[in-house]
Amino acid sequence: MSLSRAGAAGAAAAGLLALVLVAQPWGELPRRARSVARFAPRELAIRRLGGSGTAFDRRYFSFLENARRRLPASAEGVALYGVPPGEPYVYLAHYVFAPKPVRLEPGAPPAGWVAAIYGAARPPGARVLQEWDEGALVAPRP
Amino acid sequence: MTDFLLELAGVGGVAAVAWLAGGFASRVCCPADRLFLAERIAWSWALGAAIIASMVPLSFLAHVPPGWPAFLALAAASAAGAWIFRVRKTDQPRPPDASVESSPKRVRLFALLGAFAALGVGLYLLRALTEPMWSNDYVAIWGLKGKTIHAAGTVPSRLFEDPSLCFSHPEYPLGLPFLYAGTAFLTGRWNDHAMALLFPLFQIATLFALFGWLRRHGATRVTAACAAAIVACFEPLYSAFTTGLAEVPLALGLLLFGTALADALEGDPGALRRTALASALITATKNEGLYFAAAGCAIAILFGGERRWKPTFAALPTALVVHGLHLAWRGKLPLRDFDFSSGSAARVAEAFASAARLPGWIGWAQILLLLTLLLLGRRAPEGRWLLALCAAGLGAYLLLPAFAIQGPDWLVKTALPRTSAALAPLAAGAIAIRFRKVVA
Repeated sequence: MSLSRAGAAGAAAAGLLALVLVAQPWGELPRRARSVARFAPRELAIRRLGGSGTAFDRRYFSFLENARRRLPASAEGVALYGVPPGEPYVYLAHYVFAPKPVRLEPGAPPAGWVAAIYGAARPPGARVLQEWDEGALVAPRP
Repeated sequence: MTDFLLELAGVGGVAAVAWLAGGFASRVCCPADRLFLAERIAWSWALGAAIIASMVPLSFLAHVPPGWPAFLALAAASAAGAWIFRVRKTDQPRPPDASVESSPKRVRLFALLGAFAALGVGLYLLRALTEPMWSNDYVAIWGLKGKTIHAAGTVPSRLFEDPSLCFSHPEYPLGLPFLYAGTAFLTGRWNDHAMALLFPLFQIATLFALFGWLRRHGATRVTAACAAAIVACFEPLYSAFTTGLAEVPLALGLLLFGTALADALEGDPGALRRTALASALITATKNEGLYFAAAGCAIAILFGGERRWKPTFAALPTALVVHGLHLAWRGKLPLRDFDFSSGSAARVAEAFASAARLPGWIGWAQILLLLTLLLLGRRAPEGRWLLALCAAGLGAYLLLPAFAIQGPDWLVKTALPRTSAALAPLAAGAIAIRFRKVVA
């Protein structure tokens, strides 16, 4: 290989390295650094609440996390009502409640399950077990 | 900061112990030569992660709780087996470039490239650890399964049978969910923020594998460091989004598999064992791992000359065993996103057109420079195996969208950027090896 060919290869490699560096999302670095500094001392759920994965509806994650913490140990699954349509809503619900099974808007929750309602609406005659800002846990009708 | 740092230290401690355990286990496939040091470091992490992951199903099968006793027993068994069946030292000579490389100019250049590689690792550390793992595929697939297995203390059959979980791709392999669950069992809790640390560790291991393999095959330190620096800073692979997904571990697995296959076809000591192990690792990580194992075998059979059969007989059985174990555990499940009767020339054309629109000017400039480097390099026998594997992977990733149920454009946009990015270390090795003893 001639020197000029080696030089061309060196220039191409340098150009490639420069391009992968230019393509880095440098602008987000300060935001990331601030986010780590702000959220690192907080508990894990707060860190998720402040993160990208819940940005589509932070109230919804707060609802799910509150429901999870209030869930009776005996609950065999969670039936969710009032959840807006959309894949992120479905995925996050399953992830938060794992390993408990989750159903969205089932006609009637299976026996042993608990119903969680997102939002202020309450079905008539529902027995509210726990209630908080974003929703409530409701005993399924027998 | 205290809470997070303590959690991070916990995962870091588990990773360090696993890396050490993998180091003992790596004797089964890596010679103890100094020349192998960097690759041994990479293999140590790959095998250490594999020990953490395999501890989970083995514990379930043995009806013992997954945790430190199970992990240490498995690590001890691996170390003992590796010691008994260790690869002999080869005493391969060091690459004959030591005097050229010690010139002050080359040393400075090497240091600069090393700094860029470190910068890439640092940037990925920040991206990975900014927040708990969050991307859709983590929450819906890999994390969901790992969290379910950890919290349930078993592999619930509903992961494969429950129709409401069909979005989680029950047909995907369980290597990464087992790694998550294993790490959580060892740290004592599920922490999807601190566990993100595993991903920069996969990146670091990949860089060691790339640098070490290139050096062992005669690339100068500068060439090897340049390849490592470019891969380290390659954001489409090491992004916040891919943290938590299988592409980052697969990139390491593919590099280990490709380099092992190349070594096996060249007759290097221990290479057949590395081929067998890497084949199992990639099959346990992603569905296409089995495809890559099969593609590697096909490449070996077609172009491998007199050594064609040995790598094939090394790679295929382990991949098939891993796949067979998955079939035995979960049954045969269809590929959810594909309908293989739907392919047509028009859909292939749509997939290619959609793929061509993806890169943007920087992406196209990068591809152009890669092709330039490929053409400027000289023919390297080892590199062609990596290149062929890379081409087989890229071809499949470009063609598969033609069979996507939701249309070629959808799969190209949602998957191609990250799946093809996992080929970057393999491509870097294939191209950089063509400059050995040239840029001196």
